[in-house]
Amino acid sequence: MLKVYEEKLKVIKGDILEIGYEVLDALELCLRALQQNHICDLSNIELSEKKILAKSNDIDNNIVTTLALYSPEAKDLRHLVSYLKLTNELVRTGANAKDFAKKFKKSFTDDLNTNMILEYTIPLLRSALLSLKTALSIVDEVDAKHIQEKYRRVVVEESKTDDIFSMIEKNILKLIAQNLDLSKEYFDMLKALRRLEKIADRSVSIANLLQFAQVGGDISQS
Amino acid sequence: MDVKVKVDKLNLWYGTNQALHDISIDLYDNKITALIGASGCGKSTFLRSLNRMNDLVESAKIQGNVIVDGKNIYDKDIDVVSVRKRIGMVFQQPNPFPKSIYENVAYAPLKHGIVKKGSDCDELVESSLKSAGIWEEVKDKLQAPGTSLSGGQQQRLCIARTIAVKPDVILMDEPTSALDPISTEKIEALMLELKKSYTIVTVTHNMQQAARIADHTAFFHLGELVEYDETEKIFVNPKLKKTEDYITGRFG
Repeated sequence: MLKVYEEKLKVIKGDILEIGYEVLDALELCLRALQQNHICDLSNIELSEKKILAKSNDIDNNIVTTLALYSPEAKDLRHLVSYLKLTNELVRTGANAKDFAKKFKKSFTDDLNTNMILEYTIPLLRSALLSLKTALSIVDEVDAKHIQEKYRRVVVEESKTDDIFSMIEKNILKLIAQNLDLSKEYFDMLKALRRLEKIADRSVSIANLLQFAQVGGDISQS
Repeated sequence: MDVKVKVDKLNLWYGTNQALHDISIDLYDNKITALIGASGCGKSTFLRSLNRMNDLVESAKIQGNVIVDGKNIYDKDIDVVSVRKRIGMVFQQPNPFPKSIYENVAYAPLKHGIVKKGSDCDELVESSLKSAGIWEEVKDKLQAPGTSLSGGQQQRLCIARTIAVKPDVILMDEPTSALDPISTEKIEALMLELKKSYTIVTVTHNMQQAARIADHTAFFHLGELVEYDETEKIFVNPKLKKTEDYITGRFG
């Protein structure tokens, strides 16, 4: 492929990673806030869904132009198709991160069992963050073995988030049974935590798409 | 963007058959412009009008202006040889002279008095071959016949020959249609490199090639310029249905 095509691809890749890192930064801020028990810091998350969406539209338009101009084939085609689908995953991941920060801060009150919530939320968030970070690291990976290894790590982290979420869900349901007056607050908290589980799900999709781009096979998003 | 060549209401007839109808177009400096369209639509005729190659066709009659750097090349006081020196041409079939690689490049500069035999000429041959991206492949066999090279190498030799006379504009008439994909890619990469120093106008039947390398694309149909715009616009959002139909292979 011509140098101009490689440059276009580099720009697209860079723009995708830019969105990805923005979401990662937000999740890292959330993690710090929770670890330090500074829940009010969650309001410092400056992730703008509108900006992410605008950036993602720019990337998509750039991909459409690149497809039209360079008619890529095989690996080149897989890359662009993956990136086109991947922007949507990143927009959703960003929205989930923003939602988590907003909903968690709103629902986290002293009336709830905050110790238990933090005890589970921190590892849940850490796993979601790690799954996304690992998925994004596949963008620059070229070795098929490393890609598959990273993909497996993303799946493991996603499975961890499922397990942790199930545990916290069970605990919260118990607490609700003990104190029905707080059921709304607890359900709201569960909704917030569900966002983290979704982030891990999206990370698997991202890893899947990147694996398809680099290694080939079929697209199999869940 | 600076306009290098301004074509104004160009009409051309071969005998009674009108091949070009009122073509007006601005061709930009240091850009590649691709001319696309079905066979017989007038794109090669138009290309040849840009350096008065159609003067060689007895029945050809031309009207209108082709202004290069402010001067109409069809003015009566214009020297046709100097026009063709300033506006070089690369043809579909590589056509090296039956001479050595060195002589292929040196012939025209010596003839035009651009350099004299000796080190100046050697330097010009080397720099032209380097600019055409073929120096490394031929530097040890400059006295070998130009025709001994592969098709792709011959075409790059012809490009070196064209740029040796230091033209302003390079016209290319389907420069890769006789080449394999690897040689085609080398020529395309070379064109992208050359546009930094020259204005390039190329005719191509290969739509992907136009899309890949051209900054602007002009679509011709039945001797008329149907649509002319930035390549990105032509290939992603053409304004006219006729252009879209041609690009997507629905007619032509």
